[in-house]
Amino acid sequence: MIGKSHWFKRRKYSGWGVVPATWQGWVYTAVMISPLVFLSFVQVNEAVPAILIIWVIVFAIDMADIMIRLPQDERERQHEATAERNALWVILAILATGIAFETAQTAVKGKDILVDPVIIIAILAGLIAKAATNWYLDRHN
Amino acid sequence: MTQEELAEKVGVTRQTIISLEAARYNPSLLLARNITVALKQKYVEDVFIMR
Repeated sequence: MIGKSHWFKRRKYSGWGVVPATWQGWVYTAVMISPLVFLSFVQVNEAVPAILIIWVIVFAIDMADIMIRLPQDERERQHEATAERNALWVILAILATGIAFETAQTAVKGKDILVDPVIIIAILAGLIAKAATNWYLDRHN
Repeated sequence: MTQEELAEKVGVTRQTIISLEAARYNPSLLLARNITVALKQKYVEDVFIMR
């Protein structure tokens, strides 16, 4: 792929993803982002949005590749797993509380339950991902 | 051997070596063995203390 994983490091204190760790990482980020910024402001002709979409797809695939190949030792992997688990628990606790609160509120008011289906789909997708991961790990690890 | 050299030899970060030295991190059996070999010791017990 285009970018190299050792140009980046895992984002630890400000969200998810990666941040540049070397000057090559910063150059790569600038080179990949500048056409998006430029093309989103300057629409030269009708072909521009298509170029923009292709560029975004290439960028997204390359970033995913960088994140998968990010060099990590066992201690870093352990830290990441624990941090991600804690983040997920907090997200799930707040989502579950929110859904319960909204459900109770709409039930009291006698209206239809209004819970965003995207939230339910996200939780179900997470459930499937967890089950698939455990299924794989039970058999291979 | 410096922490940096040992880290590079066994394929971990210098921070991991620092944590091991400070007894804040329990290494895997593989890492413990690799460090033992890198430090030219015969047994894992020569390098690490079981607690």
